[in-house]
Parts: sequence; C-alpha cells; structure tokens
Amino acid sequence: MARSLSIGSRLRLLSVLTSGTALLAASVALLFFQLQEVRTEMLRRLETVADIIAFNSAAAVDFNDADAATTMLAALKTRPGVVSAGIVARGNIFATYVRAGAKLPEAAALRPNSAGYRFTDQDLLVYRPVTSKGREFGTLFVQSDLREIDQTFRRFTLITGVVAIPALLIAILISLYPQRRISKPILNLAALAAVVSEKGDYSIRAPIERSAAEIEQLVATFNQMLAEIQQQNARLEEAHATLEQRVAERTRDLELRSDQLEAQGSELDAANKELEAFSYSVSHDLRAPLRAIDGFSKALLEDYPGKTLDERGMHYLERVRVGTKRMASLIDDLLNLSRVTRSSLQRRETDVTAIAEAAAAELARRHPERQVHYQIEGGLHAFADSHLLTIVLENLLGNAWKFSANVPDARIEIGQQKNGNDSVFYVRDNGAGFDMAYADKLFGAFQRLHTESEFEGTGIGLATVQRIIHRHGGRIWAEAEQGKGATFSFTLGGERERTSDSSSRR
Amino acid sequence: MVTNNVNVHTQERFRFVCRLAVIVAVSLCVMVAQADTAAPTEYQVKAAFIYKFASYVQWPMIPGLVSTRPFVIGIFGKDPFGPSFDQIVRGQTVQGRAVVIKRLPGIEDAGSCDILFISDSEKSNLRRILTVLRDAPVLTVGDMDHFGERGGMINLTTEDNRIRFDINVRAIERARLKAASQLLRLARIVEESPSD
Repeated sequence: MARSLSIGSRLRLLSVLTSGTALLAASVALLFFQLQEVRTEMLRRLETVADIIAFNSAAAVDFNDADAATTMLAALKTRPGVVSAGIVARGNIFATYVRAGAKLPEAAALRPNSAGYRFTDQDLLVYRPVTSKGREFGTLFVQSDLREIDQTFRRFTLITGVVAIPALLIAILISLYPQRRISKPILNLAALAAVVSEKGDYSIRAPIERSAAEIEQLVATFNQMLAEIQQQNARLEEAHATLEQRVAERTRDLELRSDQLEAQGSELDAANKELEAFSYSVSHDLRAPLRAIDGFSKALLEDYPGKTLDERGMHYLERVRVGTKRMASLIDDLLNLSRVTRSSLQRRETDVTAIAEAAAAELARRHPERQVHYQIEGGLHAFADSHLLTIVLENLLGNAWKFSANVPDARIEIGQQKNGNDSVFYVRDNGAGFDMAYADKLFGAFQRLHTESEFEGTGIGLATVQRIIHRHGGRIWAEAEQGKGATFSFTLGGERERTSDSSSRR
Repeated sequence: MVTNNVNVHTQERFRFVCRLAVIVAVSLCVMVAQADTAAPTEYQVKAAFIYKFASYVQWPMIPGLVSTRPFVIGIFGKDPFGPSFDQIVRGQTVQGRAVVIKRLPGIEDAGSCDILFISDSEKSNLRRILTVLRDAPVLTVGDMDHFGERGGMINLTTEDNRIRFDINVRAIERARLKAASQLLRLARIVEESPSD
C-alpha cells in the first residue's frame, strides 16, 4: 500500500493537479481553436490568391500566351507559403511556377478539379477553374506548404511553456496560504489527539485559530468532547468507588447468609438421610417377623387340617395369611419408594414399547382369567432410566388393569403424543375412573380414592411413580371421569440433554 | 468560391457547347490538316482570336434592354479567312446572342457590326472607315502595320511565328467599350500618333 500523504501534501497535490489540469485543458483547447483558425485563414488567403491569378490569367490561357501566364504565376514568389502553382489547359501543363528547391505536386494532384481544395499532411492545394464569360479553358492549382501551421504550433507551445509554467507556480504559491490555514489546525488537532490518547490526559484543550468554518467547528467539538470525557471519567470514578463499597457490603452479607444456609442444608440433609435409613431399616427389619408369621401360619394350615383346627380356625388362619401378604407387599412398596429416592438416575435410550409389552405380559400371566384388550403403540422410545421407567409402567398398567376389572370389555391403551416440544406418554383405560375433584390426592402416599374392598392396593404406587417422574424432571397428571375410565399422562424431561447424563430439572 | 450553384447549370451547358465546338473544330482541323498541313493556319488562329476578343470586351449597355439580334462580326475588304471563320463561330454565342459573320460590301453598314475586321486590303481606306464609324461602339480589329497608331483598336500581328496583338486603349475608350485588364495584360499597348 502506498504511503499515506500528509494533509498538506495532499492539498498541495490537489492544487497542482487542479491548476495543471485546468491549464492543460485550456491550452489544448486554445491550441486546437488556434490551429483551426490558422487553417481556415490560410485556406481563405490561398483561395483569394488563386481567384486573382485565375482571373488574371484567363485571357493568357484563352489566347494561348504561356509567357504571360508564367509571368503572372511568378508573382506568387512574394507569397511565402506558396510552393508551386500551375495551369493545366487542354490536357497539358500550360504554365507553372515552382519555388526554388521545391517540386511540382504529383501528376494525380494536377488532375483538373474545377474548384476546391485538398489538405494533406504536407501541403494545401487549392484548385480554381480558369474561365471567361462562362467558357472554361483550364484549371489553376496553387500549392502551399504548412509552415504557417507549424509556426503557429511552435509559437503556441513556446508561449504555453513561458506562460503556463510560471502561472502554475504562482497558482501553487497562492494556494499555499489558505492551505496552511486548513492543514495547520488539523495537524495541531492530530498531534493533540495523539498526546491525549498517549497520556490519557483529558484536561488538554486545542487552541482555537482562525481557519475554515468546518475546521473551527471541528476544533470546538473536539474540545467539547474532551470536556465531556473528562466529566464522565470523574462521574465514573465516583460511581466506581460507590459500587466497590456496596459490593463489599453485599459480599459480607452474602457470606453470612450462605454460612447460615449451609448449616441449615446440612441439617436438612442429615434429617432426610436419617429418615430414609429409618424407613429402609424398618421395612427391612419388619420382613423377617412377617415371614415367620406367614411361614408358621402356612405350616399350621398344611399340617393340621381338620385335626386341631376346625373350619373357623382354618378361616382365621387364611385371614392371617392374607394380612401378612398385604403387609409384605406394603413393605415391598415402601422399600421401592425409598429405593427410588436413593438410587442414582441412569438415563439411556430406552425402548418404552418393549417395557410396556413385558409389563402387560406379566399381568396377563398373573391373571389368566381376565380378558383385557391391549393397544400398545410401536416404536416408543425415551431417554430415561430404564429400571425406573419399568416401575412407572408396571404401576400405571397395574392400575389400569386393576380399575378396569369390573368392565366387561376392558381396554388399555399406551401411546405417545406431541405437546409442543414435549413428548407425552399416556396410559388410558376404560375402567372405573375417578372424580376429578380428588385428582390432587392421587399421587400422595397412602392416599386412596377407592376402598380396599373395591380395589386392592397399597396406595404407594402412584407416589412412587410421581417421584420417579419428578426425578426425571418430568410431569405427571391424570384426567378421568367417574365410570368412564382414566388417562395418566407423563413427560420424562431431559429430552433436550439426551446426550448428557444429568438429572437436572426442565 | 468562384463556382456558384446557380451558374452550374448554365456553365454545364456552356461546357457542353464548348466541347461540341472543340469536337467540331478538331474534326475540321483534321479535315484541313488532311487537306493542307497539320498545324492551324495563321488565319484560323486570327479568326479564333477575333471571336475570343468578344469575351474580354464590354459593349455599352442600354439599361433594361436585352438585345436579341445576332452578334455580328463584319469583315471589310478582302476576306483572308476563307470558310474557317464561319466554321469557328458556327453555333457559338456571345452574351446569349448567336454569332454571325457578315462580309460587308460597303462601309455604310459598318455601324451595325459589333466587331469589324478591316482587312489589310483596306489599309488606304482606314481613315475614311474610322471616320464613318465615328467612335460608334464597334470593336475594330485590323491586320496591318500601324493599325493602332492610326486610330484602330486591336491590331493582330505575327511575332516569332506567334499571333499577338496591339491595343489602342484610347480608341476603345472613345467608343465607350471596355477592354478587360486580362486582355490588356497580353497586348502591346500602342498610342495614336497624331502625325498620321
């Protein structure tokens, strides 16, 4: 890239170019017109000369007096530009005049051409008919060299050189003064700007000098800008100081509060863990005596039928066994619930259809006496913990299965639908349904909408399901109408972070 | 420019006529040459000269009158031209007037001529002839020694085998004729000598 010129050099260059171009254009135009003028004038003069000679020599040609014609042509020697002249009559050269050292034009140029002229690179030829009273008996030609044009050209070039170059210099000198007025304040300003940016000192001001209006305004604006920057800097420093103080105060507050929270959090954690450990160990410990009760009541039923125990005793024992079974399942559910809370979430690509089909098959196997119509959508997938999702589907299907027991044509439908960006899974049955007024109690532990005698169950299943769904960052809800079936819908969240293993909330 | 659009047509016609004349003249010359010699004879040239003088002399004009009568060239005395003069002027015009050659039997009719050729044979009668003409606008052309000096206007001479002419400017002026400068330039100007 070319070196950047200073503003002074640029302005100087500009004025040189401007005046130079103007001068050149004017000179060329003037030269052109001058040459045109000279040509016209030359032609006009030569034509006049030719006219006179043609007129004067008419009788000489007519009376075939070549001497007289030659004498007349010889008068042309007083004309500086005329090189040669001649009269062509009756097909021959009748009389000629040739300046010393010159030659007659070529024969082709002598061909009679009654009136007219011909400009070539070297000469000008003018033709005139030689006539008298309408009788034409010859053609006169006069040849002139172009020395006049050459002289004009030379003279003009010389004058242009002598006049134009000093004029150009004067123009440049004159342009220097206003140019300084423009360039100097700008250069000052540039130097000042450099100092300001180098030292960061905004208290400096540019001196105001007389110059072009725009430049004076520029200097004034620059000064104003410096003043504003200075003010703003001061304000900023002030604000900065205040802010620092405030930050320090806030930091102190926050530290205090976070200490408190940490203390509270760890207390809460400890309490939670204690509670979970307690519930786990209770459930676990309760199973041993329960197994003993069940085992021994079974032994009693098998080993002493009709001996020591009568019908009534047998019935009571059956009731004991049913009670222990219920208690065992209660304990299992409680254990499940606590396990769901404790185990870590392991998301992966999971085949929902396969899990649903397995759960349905298991239900059918356990209750072969029932005829339930399943409709499971194919190709359902989710990014979820497959073990926990199995628990969810077993519970929801189990519920659907259970609450459609009293319907002659039981139908269970599992599928997926899009709700915006969420993919919503649903389990629908045409069973007993429930009153939507109690929908908020559905997912609480040990909350039941039906009596034990209507439908068996522990009341923990949906609580477990909800907990699993919440751990996935999803949502679960139910829609139902009494006697017309229920639909449980849930989302699993985490769809957007499928690649990650996080269990963060949506 | 000398050439002028209005004149082009007329000029063309003139040129055509001239060309025709040249052709006729040339064929005549060829005939004459075949009969006699190759070059035109002295009197052929002289006849042509006399005819041509009409182009360089201006006769006085009566304003508004355009003459339609022929342009008469009279020959007085012994005719040295033979048929050549008639051949040269045949079909020619001067100022739009047909040219005719008249051989005058007596000097009485001289005033009706525009050009009067006075033959060498009338050398002795010259004074009388000029008196009869009395400065009438008739261009007198002679073919004798001292014709100009004796009051004639144009005298044809032979010099180094070339035909030349003398002009008595005063006589021309007296007859209110005007000889063109081009013509004067070619001529030898002579003065009348009162001694004669």
